[in-house]
Amino acid sequence: MKGAELAYGELGDFFKGLLEKNVVDALILPYRVGTSVSYMLVRDKDRIVAPESVIFAPSFGVNAANIVKGWLIDEKVGIVAKPCEIRAAIEMIKLKQLNADSVLLIAVDCFGAYPNEVYAMHYAEIGDQVDAAKINELAGKGIPIRDACAICDNRLADVGDVVIARTNGDKVSVAGHSKMGEAALSAVGLELKDKDLERAAEKERIAAEAASNLEKLPIPDSQEALEAFLRDCIVCKNCRDVCPVCYCKECFFDQPIGNPTGGDLLNLAEARGAIAVPVNQLLYHLTRVYHVSTTCVACGACEDACPKDIPLTRFYPVLTRKVQELFKYVPGKDVAEPLPFTTYEEEELEECLR
Amino acid sequence: MGEEKEGFEPKIVGFTCNWCTYAGADLAGTSRKKYPPNIRIIRMMCTARLDPVFLVKALLNGADGVFIGGCHPGECHYIKGNFYSRRRVAAMRTILKQFGMDDRVQLHWISASEGDKFATTMKQMAADIKQLGPNPMKDEVL
Repeated sequence: MKGAELAYGELGDFFKGLLEKNVVDALILPYRVGTSVSYMLVRDKDRIVAPESVIFAPSFGVNAANIVKGWLIDEKVGIVAKPCEIRAAIEMIKLKQLNADSVLLIAVDCFGAYPNEVYAMHYAEIGDQVDAAKINELAGKGIPIRDACAICDNRLADVGDVVIARTNGDKVSVAGHSKMGEAALSAVGLELKDKDLERAAEKERIAAEAASNLEKLPIPDSQEALEAFLRDCIVCKNCRDVCPVCYCKECFFDQPIGNPTGGDLLNLAEARGAIAVPVNQLLYHLTRVYHVSTTCVACGACEDACPKDIPLTRFYPVLTRKVQELFKYVPGKDVAEPLPFTTYEEEELEECLR
Repeated sequence: MGEEKEGFEPKIVGFTCNWCTYAGADLAGTSRKKYPPNIRIIRMMCTARLDPVFLVKALLNGADGVFIGGCHPGECHYIKGNFYSRRRVAAMRTILKQFGMDDRVQLHWISASEGDKFATTMKQMAADIKQLGPNPMKDEVL
């Protein structure tokens, strides 16, 4: 890996350089409105103001990859986002929802994030960036990070084309993670030196912490528990719409199977005596979790989007991880690795069928 | 899992591939093999036609078991349909396992010449599902 060390204050020039040298045609990066953080799509480099104060903000509102869903044009967009969002973009490339040549994926280190409304409310305590110690301190004050972040073991930037790592106090390391990334860094005039951003010990610590957090998460474990878990679902399908890897133009659930109306409902009630309405909560979620089972990057956007506050992190990331373990597949790790459902081994899985 | 429930006759929805298991079931019939009449067969051209939503829907609609039958791996009429199907069913069962629903779904490879195997598989599966008891999914839940 080759990269350079920059002071925080030099990051702005780096991003401006990407636009100036036409490395990218546009940039998606976080920006701040008041105390809250959101994304913007920038064409004019002068609109980039002090990005160093916001790109590490531990705030999660929407998965940035979802913004470029269907970015099938030639104009190149750079995405500055957390590793889970970059991994989602890589899955979208595999799902042919994103042109591989039209994105420059720039991953930044993450130590866990707060729902964006919580971040905005507690900005005074949280600040521009956090580290592991600060997260523990805030958890002690009753401001915990999102469940999805607590069980995430991929927090350090090690995916995409460029990684921005917080290596020590007042400097960041910007390094190329692919040929395209290194070329981009050279194009903006950074002097590249060999860099080791493996950080194996830190990764191990995060993985252990994530595993212990996952164990503490109460997960529905019976048919009855599942019914109770989803009882309040209003089938608004927000979790689908915010999910970067849920991409079908025509969702199975927008077809009559998902929307029994009028006479269909009456027939169902006739056959069963009574039905709970709104209908199809279980059908919807059990099928959707299968659809994203290999590609879910466990970003937790579904939970944030749920208007009924159903803790969907206890459902989607937890279940999909089991399927990913079955296929020994890590979503977003390698753009060249085929999606599990598009390939097979001649001899496999016989013990999982009956 | 308790004793076999008295007088409980499970309803099993069967998805069988046209070329192997359906023909195997046919052979079981023409060879007068006895097997319990719990299965309701739906014929499809290939197990790869089975969208896993079918399994979910069958279970939510009260099926006590779901049987899927296809050609042996490597013998698919469409070369590799059953390889894909195997991955899909394994993934869906992994999800259902969390809620204890995976035992109700079984995939078997039964060729057109294995009428005998079809009959014994049916006997075994009917017994397995009887052991599990009726599908606990409530009537009103979809």
